[in-house]
Amino acid sequence: MLVAAALALIAGCSSSTIPLDSVPELPATTPADVHLLLAGSDRPIVLNVWASWCGPCRSEAPLLRSAETAWGDQVRFIGVDVRDSQDGARRFIAEYGLEEIEHYFDPTGAVPDDLGGFGVPVTFFFAPGGRLVSMHSGVLDERTLALGVDEIVRSAP
Amino acid sequence: MEYGLLAAALMAVACLWLALRFEAGRSNPSDQTARLWDAALIAAIAGLGIGRIGTMVSGGVNPLSHPLDVFIVRGGVDTVVASAGALAVFALIARRDLPGMADAVAPAALAGLAGWHAGCFTRGACLGTPSDLPWAIAGPSGIGRHPVEVYAAVALALAWLALTVIRRRRSYPGIAASLAIAVAAGVRLATQSMRPAIGDGPVWWYALGVAAGLAAAATAWVLGRRRA
Repeated sequence: MLVAAALALIAGCSSSTIPLDSVPELPATTPADVHLLLAGSDRPIVLNVWASWCGPCRSEAPLLRSAETAWGDQVRFIGVDVRDSQDGARRFIAEYGLEEIEHYFDPTGAVPDDLGGFGVPVTFFFAPGGRLVSMHSGVLDERTLALGVDEIVRSAP
Repeated sequence: MEYGLLAAALMAVACLWLALRFEAGRSNPSDQTARLWDAALIAAIAGLGIGRIGTMVSGGVNPLSHPLDVFIVRGGVDTVVASAGALAVFALIARRDLPGMADAVAPAALAGLAGWHAGCFTRGACLGTPSDLPWAIAGPSGIGRHPVEVYAAVALALAWLALTVIRRRRSYPGIAASLAIAVAAGVRLATQSMRPAIGDGPVWWYALGVAAGLAAAATAWVLGRRRA
């Protein structure tokens, strides 16, 4: 009975946060665009490379949402969706309520290749002005994300 | 595969095993070691799974839709839910002699936790908030930081030693296990402010763990005195 109650509770927790219609198509980006964006930013940047087909990206999505809520006024959170479809990307953003994060579409995966990342997910932490402070390949945990943000917030340009 | 996490988990398991072996024939009967080992390991694995599901549910990821995500432990394990789950599973396994088995495994459990925290070097999780202290470790940007997991590992290792001594002297049933709960929660509570985190973390739950552990230890002591 307890197990049934737990399953019902878990099944009841819908992960769909916002309506799909409210998520616009993601603007396409290139490595050159990203370099311009990084160089022109007066705030530190967390750049997360993700894809809707990537299981580990699902695991870190709630963390990124919480981090954006906590530090969004000090840090720019950018998502680059790679090797994906627009539909899949929009569904993912809607499902995990990631609409506050600035997302871009990179169907060839050129951006992470150019930045030196390997695989998906990968997260880059940039100081203001675009200096790379650290990079994390694989799933983010809360501590790595919080530490990375703290490092770039305290970093000089 | 997360080899860093796996290495830290192996350190935890090794410390648990060594502590149980150390106690065998001293505070614990030698023939009980295998039983204690099984119970502790099953409870730890179950707690890990329950804590992971707790994190998924609180993050809005449905574990029934994405069951394989339970294995992506790096994505987060809810410490409070994991601890409660591990304790519940242990209580279920050891239901025939709960105070005896809980006391017998308590110091080793602290040693196992110390091993997990000391494994921060392999799982890349040692660094805490900024610090100017001489033993601070520099982060990627060069800022010195508290090696917060090392603090936790040292505190838990000392608590293991203290609890081992307490068990060898006259102790009433339930005291060692209750103190272990208070210590484990207390170490998390004491180090929480030095851990980089989103928000304050479950500090009230840790405080509750300390209070509950101390209250249970005091109750066990009073009951033990009355029976003696």
